[in-house]
Amino acid sequence: MTETALTDAQVWDALRQVMDPELGINIVDLGLIYDVQVRGGEVNVKMTFTMRGCPMHGTLVAGAEAAIRPLPGVEQVNVEVVWDPPWSPEMMSAEARARLGR
Amino acid sequence: MSPDISLPLRFVLTGLVSLLGAAGLLVARPEILAGYHYSPRAVAVTHLVVLGFMASAVMGASYQLLPVVLETPLYSERLGRWQFVLHVIGFGGMVWMFWRWNLEQVGHYASVLVTGVLLLIYNVTRTLLRAPRLGAVGVGVASAFFWLLMAVSVGLALAAGKCTYESVNRLSVWSPVGMLVHGLAALAEIVQRYEPIPLMHAHAHLGGVGFFLLMIVAVSYQLMPMFTLSALPSERRAAQTLWLLNAGLTVLFFGLALNRSWKLLGMGLVVAGLVAYGRELAAILRARHRRALDWGLRCHLAAMGLLGALILPGTLLCWPGLPATPFTGQLENVYGFLGLFGVITLAILGFLHKIVPFLIWYRVYSPKVGKYQVPAMGDLYSERLLRAGFWVYVAALAIISVGAGARSVAGVRWGGVVLLGGLAVFGGNVIAMLGHLWRPRLTPLNQ
Repeated sequence: MTETALTDAQVWDALRQVMDPELGINIVDLGLIYDVQVRGGEVNVKMTFTMRGCPMHGTLVAGAEAAIRPLPGVEQVNVEVVWDPPWSPEMMSAEARARLGR
Repeated sequence: MSPDISLPLRFVLTGLVSLLGAAGLLVARPEILAGYHYSPRAVAVTHLVVLGFMASAVMGASYQLLPVVLETPLYSERLGRWQFVLHVIGFGGMVWMFWRWNLEQVGHYASVLVTGVLLLIYNVTRTLLRAPRLGAVGVGVASAFFWLLMAVSVGLALAAGKCTYESVNRLSVWSPVGMLVHGLAALAEIVQRYEPIPLMHAHAHLGGVGFFLLMIVAVSYQLMPMFTLSALPSERRAAQTLWLLNAGLTVLFFGLALNRSWKLLGMGLVVAGLVAYGRELAAILRARHRRALDWGLRCHLAAMGLLGALILPGTLLCWPGLPATPFTGQLENVYGFLGLFGVITLAILGFLHKIVPFLIWYRVYSPKVGKYQVPAMGDLYSERLLRAGFWVYVAALAIISVGAGARSVAGVRWGGVVLLGGLAVFGGNVIAMLGHLWRPRLTPLNQ
């Protein structure tokens, strides 16, 4: 029996389980996830926040790691917070914008 | 980065209990507002609201928000816990002794409170010094704490001025106790050269405008964009509004304390600062990406609307040569009541519906993110209850204001009953939020 390799899509799906608790929208639809790279058992994620000093910083980073770690084949998770490019509302999905009334 | 939630939460809960107590006293003793405000009970209830509720809530919120606003950890949680003890003993004793009109004891308890304030200011200053950048918000917060120190210092001086110091003749000025007593006696002599009522009004504005309003304005420049997914349009204009408020309050304080006609200039500068703030707030709201405004934010906006309405009576009361009549006395009551129970309390209650859910959510649900489906912060309380509580509270403000203006004991009493009703509804939401501490709502993730 062969083990299915971990895919980017699985990681993106797992990240959709992590919600911003103020807005009630997942961090993928909010446009906070900039990049996902899967290399064997290592998962690297680049993410940002809507503003610096966000009190949810640590919670959402830890939440992203916790969501990815149980995926089959994951050995190591690295979540990096970046500020370039700065987040803008245009990065939200159409669904997120609709939920916010835009 | 933020302290353990027990630190801000103990202040906030103390504040809410104090507010309920103050509302209860309005029901039990409606003459507090139906009569002239310079009476022992009126002064006691005022300090219960200002120190017991407003200061407690703002101090608790500061411990939580300062690390967010300044992007640096709080300097010391331990100092905060000590400050809480001194604060509760201080304001509790002051309110009790004001009620009994024992001003010597008021001074003693006030000294305990001021010691706590000094610990708070030291803690805040060390935190500010660590901040990577201050910005307009940081400068506003620093200004607010400066005015807090001024307000409590003037309050202490007012209490000292009401006391006599017979022991001054027996004590050597070079002994520690003697130095203190001689110093207080000298301070009392200075304070007694000024009219007490204007000085009291000046003290009230140092606290109300200087600490509370300035803090609300400064922090809202950070929180309104955060909660509405907007941006502060101009850091420079935000800083200008804060400097206008600072300059206006400086002139207003001296004008009020010395009872000079140029207190009107100070009032004018404060009004200019508030108008400028209103424009910035409108710009933040126009640029927002989150269209729906939750009721926590609506409470804050209602408070700002009421503030705008109070500009006219506030300006009138500053008018040079305004005669002291029963009408102006009652207008002062209504102005003070709406300023404290209306503007500042509504603004605080609004922000508490963002801060308390955050504190509880952070303790209960933050470790579960990514492992379970967790509720959003807005799910921790009932928006319907908040909306109902808001309207009942606004009705109470109107009834009490009319009652106080008409010197109607029945009006103030029944308004107080409605006020208690509104606060009970708000309180129901707080209990609902606290319930999550013992019965969290977790569901498995969709796998």
